Amino acid sequence: MSPYDLLPRFKAQYDANNQEFSISGVVRPQAIDELGPSIALLRDAIGRVRGVLYVNVRRLTQMNNAAFHAFSRIIIDACRARPDLKFVVITSSVVGWTSRKFGRLSGIEPNITVEEYDSEFYPGQGFLEEGGFVPILRSQTKMTWRHERAILPRHGMRQGIVMADICCGIGDFAVLVQKEFQPSRIVALDHSISSLNYARQVMREFDIRGIEYTYGDASEMLLDEAQFDLVTCRHSLQIFNRPELILKELYRICKPGGRVYITNEKNSHCLGEPRAESIRWTYNEVAKLFGHFEMDVELGPKSRRYLMEAGFEDIRVETFMVTNLDGDPQDFADVIAAWADVYAGEMATRRGDGAEFVARFRQGFQDHIFAALHPKGYAGWPIWVASGRRPQ
Amino acid sequence: MGPVQHDLAGEPTFEPMIQIDMEIKGFVSAWRHCDYVSTYMARMISQNRSDSVRHSNLFSSAFNELLEVAFRTRHADGELACRVSRHGATDRIELTFPCVPEERQFYEEAVSQVAGTEARERYLNSVSGDLAPSREIVLLELAVDYNATLRVEEADGDVIRLVVDLPLEGLQH
Repeated sequence: MSPYDLLPRFKAQYDANNQEFSISGVVRPQAIDELGPSIALLRDAIGRVRGVLYVNVRRLTQMNNAAFHAFSRIIIDACRARPDLKFVVITSSVVGWTSRKFGRLSGIEPNITVEEYDSEFYPGQGFLEEGGFVPILRSQTKMTWRHERAILPRHGMRQGIVMADICCGIGDFAVLVQKEFQPSRIVALDHSISSLNYARQVMREFDIRGIEYTYGDASEMLLDEAQFDLVTCRHSLQIFNRPELILKELYRICKPGGRVYITNEKNSHCLGEPRAESIRWTYNEVAKLFGHFEMDVELGPKSRRYLMEAGFEDIRVETFMVTNLDGDPQDFADVIAAWADVYAGEMATRRGDGAEFVARFRQGFQDHIFAALHPKGYAGWPIWVASGRRPQ
Repeated sequence: MGPVQHDLAGEPTFEPMIQIDMEIKGFVSAWRHCDYVSTYMARMISQNRSDSVRHSNLFSSAFNELLEVAFRTRHADGELACRVSRHGATDRIELTFPCVPEERQFYEEAVSQVAGTEARERYLNSVSGDLAPSREIVLLELAVDYNATLRVEEADGDVIRLVVDLPLEGLQH
């Protein structure tokens, strides 16, 4: 027996509180007998539930037809024996075959519905994807890169490594890393199809090699365990309502001895002179606004705690301030203007903010721009960088 | 190994990507070989696809089913050859393995039915009615869920060659 044979290949569980049967991993049995305990668990779950049984296959990487037939038959038979019972199969849009394959079941039994759980996954994704935000994202990366290119080597970046950039967005950070540090391979993952399309277009136009863009869910990735020397995840934990889930995955795909590198903000610490009070008030309100949508843009200084709780060691934390003095102050001003459009626009509207609040809210952004462009002014946007090593 | 050539007039040339040959005795000695081979080959050929991770997952899923079909051959001697070639968005799997004459006839009939208009309905009937999928249903599922096209090619001796075209790039987001 090889070590491979000893690895648990799949896991089935039943959560009575949520009436949820879940099966994950690689399920490729030769004979149905191999599934005995899992099938018994599903039957038992069906016998216990009232109303709806959720069948969670989000983390089901592979399932052969033999296993699919076996589980499907139990569900279909249960529908026929108990018309009062409904089944909701929860698939992931990331695992391409699951929605197609399980989706067929609703055509057989109307009491079976199939839902892609991550079709509206990131609370903030909609706000940031639309409305021509790409140029702003590029400007942001250009501004942070001036600092990060010097910081990254202190956190494990070096030539020839295998790295992953999780929540890569439009891929501009991956491209800059590829040019500056020449890792041997970069896997760049994001959950935004439009961002990935943009990233691939850039890669084709500029004939960039060595970056593999992939669609994925950062909290449940298809990537294998322990394969990357460095895993980066920038400005993303803060817009995810359960950052610990992402960190768990970053830890999983990182090699023992490798590092996970995260960057986050503390928006209430954005600052400027002159008009400091107005600016401070507005960015305090930004933090509250994101909080309303379950995003924590104050996460930066909490990075150390998050990394420790995720099991990392040798944690390193540092900060840098992007300012209007770094490059062209107009770039800084353009970024603030874009924030104002989204935060004091769609987000404030969706929260139901009144006109008076929005006017004051918007004024703080205008004052930040004023400070950035003022000949004697100073405007800053602080970023927290943190990394931890996965224990050997 | 040169480009894969076919007799069918007007068919594009598929460029070879990878080939694995095994003694059938060795292959059928462990069920896990289906998983090993499908996973390994999927990773190798997906590197330069637009989404390598998702492509690899889809390809492995489809290819494993074919290997499981070959695993159940009743012929005890000979070689299994798995060849993958590519034309644009389509990956072609050519799976050559020994089989007895009755099996050969079975595959020819099964593949001819895959192209039928009622393929989806027959597949759904199987899912709702059969305890386990037959080899015919496994081939049918490739057409229904992966938009695969299948054919049986002429091969010498007691062997069969299944040719399966998988347009997986088009299945992705």
